[in-house]
Amino acid sequence: MNLRNEQKRPLKNIGTAINIGFNLDGMQQPLHSLRIDFYTIFNKKKGDWMVQSKGRKYLFLLFCLLPTFLLFVVFTVYPMINGLYMSFFEWSGASGNKTFIGWDNYKELFSDPIIPKTIWHDYFLVVTKVIGIMILSLFFAVALTQLKIKEAPFYRIVFFFPNIMSVVVIGILWTFIYNPDLGLINSGLNKIGLGRLAKPWLGDTFWALPSLVLPSVWAGIGLFMLMLIGGILSVPKSLYEAADIDGASSWKQFWQITVPLVWPQIKTSILYIVITTLNGSFIIVQVMTEGGPNNATQVMGSYLYQKAFKEFNFGYGATIGVMILILSLVTVLLLQVFLKREKVDY
Amino acid sequence: MNSALGKFFIGVAVRIPLILWSLFVLYPLIWMFIGAFKSNGEIFASPWSIPESLHWSNFATAWTKYNIQTSFMNSLFVTLVGTLLCLVFAIPTSYAIERVKFRGSAVLFNVYLASMMIPMVLGWIPLFFILLHLNMLNNVWALSLIYAVTQIPFSIFILTSFMGSIPKELEEAAAIDGMSQYGVLLKIITPLTANGIITVSIMNSVTFWNEYFMALIFLQTKEKQTLGVTMDLMNQEAQYTNDWGALFAGLSISVIPVIIIYAIFQRRIMKGLTEGASKG
Repeated sequence: MNLRNEQKRPLKNIGTAINIGFNLDGMQQPLHSLRIDFYTIFNKKKGDWMVQSKGRKYLFLLFCLLPTFLLFVVFTVYPMINGLYMSFFEWSGASGNKTFIGWDNYKELFSDPIIPKTIWHDYFLVVTKVIGIMILSLFFAVALTQLKIKEAPFYRIVFFFPNIMSVVVIGILWTFIYNPDLGLINSGLNKIGLGRLAKPWLGDTFWALPSLVLPSVWAGIGLFMLMLIGGILSVPKSLYEAADIDGASSWKQFWQITVPLVWPQIKTSILYIVITTLNGSFIIVQVMTEGGPNNATQVMGSYLYQKAFKEFNFGYGATIGVMILILSLVTVLLLQVFLKREKVDY
Repeated sequence: MNSALGKFFIGVAVRIPLILWSLFVLYPLIWMFIGAFKSNGEIFASPWSIPESLHWSNFATAWTKYNIQTSFMNSLFVTLVGTLLCLVFAIPTSYAIERVKFRGSAVLFNVYLASMMIPMVLGWIPLFFILLHLNMLNNVWALSLIYAVTQIPFSIFILTSFMGSIPKELEEAAAIDGMSQYGVLLKIITPLTANGIITVSIMNSVTFWNEYFMALIFLQTKEKQTLGVTMDLMNQEAQYTNDWGALFAGLSISVIPVIIIYAIFQRRIMKGLTEGASKG
């Protein structure tokens, strides 16, 4: 992702840029050489005619960078660090009674019977979503690029639309689709004669969690399909043509050309699904089931919300937050290793 | 002849899943809009039926009785202010990172980039108390600012890549004409990054419009709530009041602006996402 910038700005090359905007006066160089020098890296040993602009340059840099960075520190970095700190306290939110309790919150975390459930639920969602979304979006991406389908733009537009809908709307809509009396699913099952399969989906301790996967897949396909389409379109056409001449089947072409060359996009998609699920699955949970029935859909984030903002146990909530942070960082790192493949160039 | 027939069958076979998924995506949405026009009796009778007459009253009920009017305006406010603030803070930083050489520029860029990977849930608890101490809880301005800050890293990521493609000669020419760096940023770079700015702003505004959890935590009274929170409360209430028609109308109201944005900018969004992916 950041390759572009690393190539452009290797750390060792950092120097002072020449800024002719401020020191044209006294400069003897002809314009063409000026062009070459402009924004090139200036070696301090060579001369000092631009030194006078340094102060102004840094003022400009401060103007550009400081307000943004300050806000970033105050509203992003500091809260994270403070959250870490808070996880060592027992605190109900009232200003006076904040007591340091060391590792007690963490001990409670390890003995809390609901915590393993929340972790399991989160990873259940991660795995099912990765499988469901990747298979479908890869299939659609290949179908819409490799086969000549005239109405392909229509499918792209339709499939992507749920991606920009709010999770609240998606959640409410699907709660209603699952509604035992008024919803589409049960009445559909009744219509086709499978009425015995009808059940209160979100109220059933076994079915509630799997029921949350479908809306996420429904809403998630489009984005990843577009990313994969981007990858497939950047594969040189000549490769497929050559494979055609060699008589390779479409199936073989898919595994030997498409998958290896689109691997960076596949990897990014998987990582993105994992990150957004671990960090955001609780929103759809909160809207559709609030963690119920009987914690059957409780995920880490929804449990944090319940502990911190409903039971006002902010210290313990922060501890759950630390757990989410650590688990998602570890998961992402492990995935980076597992999904690593030799870069393929044909 | 044989291969033509074969192609035809492949065409049909591939279209079946495509058409099925289209129906699967569209039907719940159509169902939602139809539901918004049904009377409660019709909703209870059958989820598949078409309303006999259009019950516009559902929209009126949702708009006035369920606080959607106020929260619609609040959502509009945080979306617009958040998007603008995000640009104000992201554009100068993007320019400095992309075009001004300074020590630590790559580090700074990577810090912003890395923060996109980190779950913010942990930060929300302290953020709640920061806002409490600054007396900024239940304040739509504060929420807009926080929204803006959360999208700054993403915006920098996109804007730097757009700025990278602006020819340097334009800046040089302006500098030779005696324009200051501030002038170059404001009058040369910003207009030339218009495409990137529009792309980023669409993405950001859709995110802000849809945001739910921070709004739930940081806004506390009915007068300040945004649409997501109001819809969620309305949904919980509907379990008891059974006012499903109004709920569907409310859902429709909150989706319509997104549909309009999507209809206008669909091509740009698609292009941005597919091309962004191939740059990887």
